[in-house]
Amino acid sequence: MKRKRILYVLITCLLVSLLTAACSSDNKKADSKDPATGNEKVKLVVWIWETAKDGLDLNMDAFKAKYPNIEVEFQTMKSTDLYSKYLITSSTGDAVPDIITVESTNMSQIVQIDSLLDITDRVAPYKDKMSAYKWEDATKDDKVYAMPWDSGPVVMFYRNDLFAQAGLPTDPADVAQEIQTWDDYYEAAKLIKDKTGAMMYGDSKTNSSNRMFESMMWQRGLWYFDDEGNVAVDSPEIKESADFLIKMQNEGLVFDARANTDPWGNAIRDGKIATVVGGSWHDAIIENQYSPADKGKWSVTLMPKWSKDDKYTGANQGGANLAINKNSKHPEEAWQFIEFMLGSEESQVKMMTEAGLFPAMLLSDNASLEDPSEYFNKEPIRKVYAESLANTYPLAYTSDFPMANKLMTDVWAKVFLNKVSSEKALKDMADELRSKTKRN
Amino acid sequence: MKASKLNKQMLVAPYIYISPYFILFFVFSLYPILYSIYISLTDWNGSGEKLFIGFENYIQLFSDNDFWLSLWNSTLIFLMYVPIMLFVGLILASMLNSNWMVGKGFFRMALFVPNFVSVVAVSFVFILLLNTQDGLVNSVLRSIGLIDNPIPWLESPWWARFSVAMMVLYRWLGYNMLLLLTGLQNISKDLYEAAYVDGATKIKSFFFITIPLVKKMLLFCTVLSTIGTFSLFTEPFILTQGGPLNSTLTPVLMLYRESFQNFNFGYASSIAVCFFILMMVISLLQMRIFDDKE
Repeated sequence: MKRKRILYVLITCLLVSLLTAACSSDNKKADSKDPATGNEKVKLVVWIWETAKDGLDLNMDAFKAKYPNIEVEFQTMKSTDLYSKYLITSSTGDAVPDIITVESTNMSQIVQIDSLLDITDRVAPYKDKMSAYKWEDATKDDKVYAMPWDSGPVVMFYRNDLFAQAGLPTDPADVAQEIQTWDDYYEAAKLIKDKTGAMMYGDSKTNSSNRMFESMMWQRGLWYFDDEGNVAVDSPEIKESADFLIKMQNEGLVFDARANTDPWGNAIRDGKIATVVGGSWHDAIIENQYSPADKGKWSVTLMPKWSKDDKYTGANQGGANLAINKNSKHPEEAWQFIEFMLGSEESQVKMMTEAGLFPAMLLSDNASLEDPSEYFNKEPIRKVYAESLANTYPLAYTSDFPMANKLMTDVWAKVFLNKVSSEKALKDMADELRSKTKRN
Repeated sequence: MKASKLNKQMLVAPYIYISPYFILFFVFSLYPILYSIYISLTDWNGSGEKLFIGFENYIQLFSDNDFWLSLWNSTLIFLMYVPIMLFVGLILASMLNSNWMVGKGFFRMALFVPNFVSVVAVSFVFILLLNTQDGLVNSVLRSIGLIDNPIPWLESPWWARFSVAMMVLYRWLGYNMLLLLTGLQNISKDLYEAAYVDGATKIKSFFFITIPLVKKMLLFCTVLSTIGTFSLFTEPFILTQGGPLNSTLTPVLMLYRESFQNFNFGYASSIAVCFFILMMVISLLQMRIFDDKE
């Protein structure tokens, strides 16, 4: 009997300790919104990845001069780690970090977990100054939760030496004229393969990032989901675009490596790939990371479109936003930081010219767009980006984009490995997406 | 009186002595386990409200082909490397345990090193080695004329499973060998001498003395490898992201995908619970099968 009683006492102790452990996270929230007084030094913690931090660093001196009381600590990590870590943080109601960086691809997903600060009123003056498409992913129930940073207007980078060998024009304007549609692109691909042996672009059959395909959908205003949020991947238009890329692969015109991986980059370095149809940020990847020796060999022009009559020629790939943690103790200062970095044309232009982050902000002063790029044949490449951005269909990534993107990768693998028809593979994907996301 | 007080102390003392472990266990293991069982009965995106939905996650899970595929993948990967690993590990251990072997310390070390090198680093090296286009493995195989076309090590379902299995083998061979070596060192030399006197060959003593006597250790290694294979994460996550066509998806990778990529924490927890039950059943079965009645 005695032994039992002691056991009970012990168990009660443990249960009490468990309960206190379980409840402690709720107690924290109560005192989380102390307004910081003006003279006190405030420290903001910003979660960000390296390349994005490089951009903000350019403006840090100016920021410190204007706000001497705000100290900023950057904690860098991979973007995918950032999202999972933030998820854990927000579920325990932590006040740190104050600011997070979110790619547009994951923006809507993060907004859905209801842990970001509503900044609708604060961003109101910027509503018309940013590319319209950026707001949609940052919005839920008419409330805005993030400030747009940069865009990735999709353009076509191409090797003008390979184009010349194949007898194609090399001047950007002529190339845009020669390769207006994806069919022209296909014809050019055959010529280049024939004459030079190089492949038209790089994409993996079994582990595709789908970025090329998504750009093709985007410029036609098509997406994994339609305007009402219903699953749309089994639509005939999407099958058309998919079939085009399957044809490119089947005819051996594509270098089989996932875009933005080392094997892909090595092929670029070795001149095995003639074009990169991708976001503007690829300029830094080509110039600095994989092909620094090929100065003057690359040029930039607009991407091909589906049909000559299409209104939109551009698409977007990536781009980021800054958002404030709902539990941050310094929301005011956090907003001051974001407004300073992203709301001022001066900071944005600096990040564009020196860090290659093409702003989502519509610039009033176009002079900076005219700057020629040394590497890209002294061409004003940012003018092409701006033109692409101005002609980009206003589309949102939506909250289930990460899942849809993963499933799309499997569609290609099914087509190429299991010889399933594109129609069936897309239909299967649509069904799976419907059951997993509970959409129609 | 005094005796009874002492008696009381004797009764309480053991519980106090073991309480640190149990307190930690309750707080850091039992509570999370119970909590995830609770989450598995809800629809939860990681933040915000938990919606109680009963067994709906489990119903969905059992009809989810990916879940069954992940178990099948783990089984295949298990079959691809565990028998080889245990057999080769035992042979290597016997060699290191024999008298004629030189440089024992060196070989023991060399075989064990892969186990404590960062798995992320190893995975990246494997990616470089196994790259279809210009990886070292394909280049070597091609230059000695074994293959004409490059092998898609990470791009076709079967090769991808094989590559993951080989990487696991590389990492865990030395560890299992060390476990088996400790088993071997407990076998009395007298047995081998007696067998030798009776005219048994080296190979015969290996099969009739060594293997039966390290059976317990082999069981231990098998149980560990089973749990290890089903909870593989880093290797497939970095090498293949679970692809192509989910052919290297493991239950734990699927759990990660559902929780931290798709934000379905309820569903992910139901995977965790099923995974726990499955591992328990398999371990019990294995112990039953290997159990000596004597």
